[in-house]
Amino acid sequence: MYFCPIRNQYLHPPSQPTATNSHERPSRPLEQLSPVRASSARVPHNIVIVPQSHSSDNALTKIEALFETIVDAISVGSPITIPYRRSTNAQVFDPTASASNPRDGRHMDSVRFPGRNPQELRRFEALFRIIEISHEALLSGTLVTKRNIYYQNMELFRSQSVVDDMVDNLAFTLGVGRNDLNIVATAKGLVAGQVELIMRGGSKIDCAESSDSGVLLPSISAVGKIDFQSVKWLLVIEKEATFRTLSASRYYTVSRAGSGILVTGKGYPDLATRKFLAAIHSVRPRLLMFALVDFDPHGISVLRTYQYGSQRLDHEERTKVFGLRWLGIRSSDVLLNTVMTQDCSANSQGSQSSQDLSSQESIAYSVDAFEDERPAKRPRSRRTKSHPSDYTASLSERDREKAVSVLRDICGTARLDATEREHKLELQRMLMLNIKAEIQAVDDFGDITNWLDERLLKHSMDVNSH
Amino acid sequence: MSKQYLTLHTVDQAHPTEIFSLAPTPNALISASGSSHLLIHSTTTSPTFPLTQTLSNAHRLGCHHITTARGGPGNTFVSVGFGGDTKVWHRNPETDQWSLYWTLPTPDNKKEKGDVWAVALSADEGYLAATTSDGRIHVWDVLGKAKIQTYETGASAGGGGGHDSVGTGSFAMAVDLSRDGKFTASGHENGGVYVFNNDAGRMVYSLSGLAKPIRAVAFSPGCKRLAAAGNAGIIAIYDMQHGEHVANLSATGTRPAWITSIDWNDTGEYLLSGSLDGKVRVWDVARGVCVATHSETESALWCVRWLPKSEKVLAPGMGKGEMFVAAGANRSLTFYREATGS
Repeated sequence: MYFCPIRNQYLHPPSQPTATNSHERPSRPLEQLSPVRASSARVPHNIVIVPQSHSSDNALTKIEALFETIVDAISVGSPITIPYRRSTNAQVFDPTASASNPRDGRHMDSVRFPGRNPQELRRFEALFRIIEISHEALLSGTLVTKRNIYYQNMELFRSQSVVDDMVDNLAFTLGVGRNDLNIVATAKGLVAGQVELIMRGGSKIDCAESSDSGVLLPSISAVGKIDFQSVKWLLVIEKEATFRTLSASRYYTVSRAGSGILVTGKGYPDLATRKFLAAIHSVRPRLLMFALVDFDPHGISVLRTYQYGSQRLDHEERTKVFGLRWLGIRSSDVLLNTVMTQDCSANSQGSQSSQDLSSQESIAYSVDAFEDERPAKRPRSRRTKSHPSDYTASLSERDREKAVSVLRDICGTARLDATEREHKLELQRMLMLNIKAEIQAVDDFGDITNWLDERLLKHSMDVNSH
Repeated sequence: MSKQYLTLHTVDQAHPTEIFSLAPTPNALISASGSSHLLIHSTTTSPTFPLTQTLSNAHRLGCHHITTARGGPGNTFVSVGFGGDTKVWHRNPETDQWSLYWTLPTPDNKKEKGDVWAVALSADEGYLAATTSDGRIHVWDVLGKAKIQTYETGASAGGGGGHDSVGTGSFAMAVDLSRDGKFTASGHENGGVYVFNNDAGRMVYSLSGLAKPIRAVAFSPGCKRLAAAGNAGIIAIYDMQHGEHVANLSATGTRPAWITSIDWNDTGEYLLSGSLDGKVRVWDVARGVCVATHSETESALWCVRWLPKSEKVLAPGMGKGEMFVAAGANRSLTFYREATGS
């Protein structure tokens, strides 16, 4: 009649063949799972060992403790209760769930069996299935993707977001990170560069050898060692398209700033990408890490997600990349050129020389020049993309709302650090100017490498001089 | 031919962050920036323009617009924060101290946009015009603390502001009220400049000409002219009797920088402009030429304002004649004075 969620083999110890209703805590074959330790052999100093998170044991203990209470409940015939705290904005089966805990923005709740209604029954089944999958994954030492969980039980979960929310809430309830449950998101981030990832299983991923499109970022918990070779910088790029262009041209080897690593989280980064970057920063704190985002409210919000994490996943540890510097683009990258137009001689300065264009292109650009303009007495600026309106767009109403909401976020902090003050100023300028600009605003007819070379070199020098 | 202006004084780093707006009264200059404080500087007592009052924590997200009544008594100013919070401040004439008088209410229902961008005060300090991102201009009775008029600039607004045009207008980036109280003018992101007759409560002119975002509009003191400027980098002058585009003020050379701020002097002879390339210009309106250019900074200027003219020497070292002030990304206030007659 009812679906019986309890079919986990570990709950049916063979010593008790009649025990359909009474269970015993399974033995823990954990001893086989001891983390892969670094060999004592000498390793070249550019190969860095990635420390493994040990809280998986903790998650397993907690899940098994949960099983124990279930078994106890079944043995005395009382209803089964699984504690479950959920985020206030999460989509879950039962929107009418009880008591809330406004202090941390999550509802304190539980899921019971037999349920109060069919929805709760379904919720119990779904939650139990996730716990079961996590338990199996922890025992076997494998990783399960959230996508996989959904596709194996589509009828049960109905949508991917249900799985996503439940997994995050389960992790939150148990007080562990999502990765500690051995459940990971399907890789979204990409990496390309002069770096080799040595997996715990022994296989190697050479991030420079792949196709143009880069390598899907593996879960950092599966990475045992990283061979940084001679990389001098790491660049996180908001846009996948820009990442692919740079990756295809092997910018990570040909850059004048030395060899490096390119990473993209494809817009708002997922947990795996952020954990990967946080891990890199912790094993290589001196590696310069930069972010390249659009000059718009979402660009700054993406940047802040890397630097400060996201609110929904605030319980996740080691996801914040504090060392990440904002390479661009800022209002000054867009506005600098306004100053230049008034003084054509200024463009002979070294910083502009890389932007040289042929005179034909300059003619093409002057077509949309202002009609009342008198003939220029001096030669036109060779930097022909000389006016902000050539490559900026107006903010939409939604952009402005987003900008204000990010601004509100920043100003909610009691004491702003220098990074946040800069975010605040750039958002205010954005609102004042009512403009946004994409990364392409600073490129040179599709070639952003000169601009990047210049910025990476400048920042490297700034850092070294301090 | 050209007029001479000298740098009189610079208040370095007047604010901890960029100065976005300035507003003069007969005896003071109010400045607002990306930080939460508003500052009041005395403009009649000393050539160092000393700070006389700090209004702390006025706008948590920073303040982008402040306005006073031009030619008014100087007892009211209005400030708008980046969060859309709008505050009316009153001065106690006896103590010369400013304090908060009223915070404009934000609408409860979500459909009614509560945001405020640009503001202007009528000469008698009785009415406040405030623009929104959906192209509306609300007029408030400051003493009665009530909204008395809303002008629409949406699709069919030219026909008198039909109901289907509600909230469909282009972002109103600038606003001004004529000193005689007759007209309201708004400048929009789509380049539109609209003039409303306040007595009739409807639009009288829809002015074209610049086609690029308008960042500043200003009525001449005699209310016969309207000046508008913005991303086109030139100043358009419109006649208010017939709504004609009568002149353009533009600098020679290549494409000019975006103009962020304009202001008429008290006689209506000169216009002051400030632009993103850091240049302050004084224009002779009758002759249509730029008579003075100053570029103390290469960083953006957000606001330029004339100070009220004085016939006598205000204080030792200040001279007489007209003064103006410019501020922006370099966080400083730079005061200029006329070189003649000192």
